[in-house]
Amino acid sequence: MDGTTAVAAARPPVRAGRPRFRGLVPWLYLAPLLAPLILFVYWPLLHTAWLSLVRWNLQPGQATEFVGLANYAGVLESSLFADASWNSMIYVLAAIPLKVLLPLPVAVFLWSLGRAGGTYRTILFLPTLISFVIVAVVVGWMLNPIAGHVTALLSWLGMGFANPLATPDGAIITIIVLSAWKVFGFNVLLYLAGLASIRRDLIEAMRLDGASDWVILRRLIWPLLSPTTFFVLIATVIFSLQQVFTPIDILTEGGPENGTTNFFYMVYQLAFRTFDIGRGAAGTVLLFLLLLVITLLKLRVLEKRVHYQQ
Amino acid sequence: MTSAPITFGRPWRVAFHIICLALCLSVLVPMALVVGTAFKPANEIYDLSPWPSQPTLANFGRLFGETEFLLYMWNSLATTFLRVVAQLAIAILAAYAFARWHFTGSTLIFALTLGAMMIPHQLVMIPIYIMIAELGWFDTWAALIIPNLAMPFAVFLLRQHMMSFPKELLDAAEMDGAGPLTALWRIMLPNLGPALAALTIVLSIDCWNEYFWPMLVIDSPGARTVQLGIREFLEENFEDFGALMAGVTIASLPVLLVFFLLQRRIMETFVASGLKG
Repeated sequence: MDGTTAVAAARPPVRAGRPRFRGLVPWLYLAPLLAPLILFVYWPLLHTAWLSLVRWNLQPGQATEFVGLANYAGVLESSLFADASWNSMIYVLAAIPLKVLLPLPVAVFLWSLGRAGGTYRTILFLPTLISFVIVAVVVGWMLNPIAGHVTALLSWLGMGFANPLATPDGAIITIIVLSAWKVFGFNVLLYLAGLASIRRDLIEAMRLDGASDWVILRRLIWPLLSPTTFFVLIATVIFSLQQVFTPIDILTEGGPENGTTNFFYMVYQLAFRTFDIGRGAAGTVLLFLLLLVITLLKLRVLEKRVHYQQ
Repeated sequence: MTSAPITFGRPWRVAFHIICLALCLSVLVPMALVVGTAFKPANEIYDLSPWPSQPTLANFGRLFGETEFLLYMWNSLATTFLRVVAQLAIAILAAYAFARWHFTGSTLIFALTLGAMMIPHQLVMIPIYIMIAELGWFDTWAALIIPNLAMPFAVFLLRQHMMSFPKELLDAAEMDGAGPLTALWRIMLPNLGPALAALTIVLSIDCWNEYFWPMLVIDSPGARTVQLGIREFLEENFEDFGALMAGVTIASLPVLLVFFLLQRRIMETFVASGLKG
């Protein structure tokens, strides 16, 4: 945004890129956007900050009681928060090899195939289109101990099989794998977009100098792709915390023994399972701060390194 | 662009083809299993083979006959349509204002619009839930549509497209006496066709597939969306997997069909949006 302002200022005042406008007209065009943006995004954020300071159980008649920072202390000291923090870390750590590192060589390979890689790309993209509800329901069906196909396949192979969703470790692994399956092709596509912007003449030049594929990959493509890699990393970290809400809710509801809950599911549990609005709001504010830090980090790094402007 | 940028050696190529084939199978096999099961008679449901030996429509019959699936489809279809039309109208007007004029506060407002992109539903759910309770909007289409009218990424994407549009054409139209709204409608929009089509589809898929928001504000079967309906089936008729897979097939079909119409642009728009279903 600062970029466009600077450009507009640098140009001669006659026939500037965008005419300066004094008056109400632009605001008329913006009003339909601003109304829902204020009502359903920015005001609720402030309201949540206020609610995090009171005790309330969502009963309309019930008076709210100001309790200061007690809700924050309550959240931070709870075992639910400890479990959610641990699991959130597991989700993110597991995401890095599965969703950030593995799609990269696959994308480079599809890129090397050129047009012929299109079929792979399209098929790998399909999970992005299918709703997480359906993915979770189908996984739940296939892992079903009575009728599931995974169960049947393994018993056909002579292996005993317990429903992985019944144990904390098995459940979180299941959710990690299905969310990796869901986002893999999308991340391949992000890498392909980054690869497409690499100038071919640089590669040709290196090749003329006798560089091997491996040297080109390591010395040219990897560094030029690093903004994309970083972008994929940040997007995946947020994705791995937020989007797994759906499979958690459908398959495990955060259990067994809080084994699959994470920050996003925790705030939902606090607010709408235990109806402790104050703690739910306090958890939400903490989560907001976490996302803010991640986003600011992303902006700082991307500002320095990415030149996506078309 | 004649030759491939990198040509892996033969062993690498074989290894990568095997990896890609395995990944593609992990996508296609479950899909085949779901679709196959949707057409299987009851006695074949537990068979490992995805193909029904005696295909039947009985699962679809039970799905539509014994459940409210048709109503869920209607709720999803109608709310998706209304919501996307409203989202597009709002985003087009806002993007036009940002692309056409530089006015006091425009940078700040644009920053606020972009900032809203990083606010997921879960961060604003409590106050909106209270608001909807006070308005008495639980189990209504309004609760599904109205809190989701602002789509910051759509504003951003359309603004990018509009800014690359030659200003001279708009200026010429205004010199001929057309107001800014006429210029938008008659000159700008007809030239945004493909971008708008892809955006419409991405917004529709996003809405059709949504789970968290409907789950929060919809409880009664009367206002249930398809996604909520499918979850209910898993919980209620846990035995009738044939009908469940018929429902899963029908719920995914529109999304896949629409995708194949405009494949490439949709993938590009998804990349731009950061929406991942």
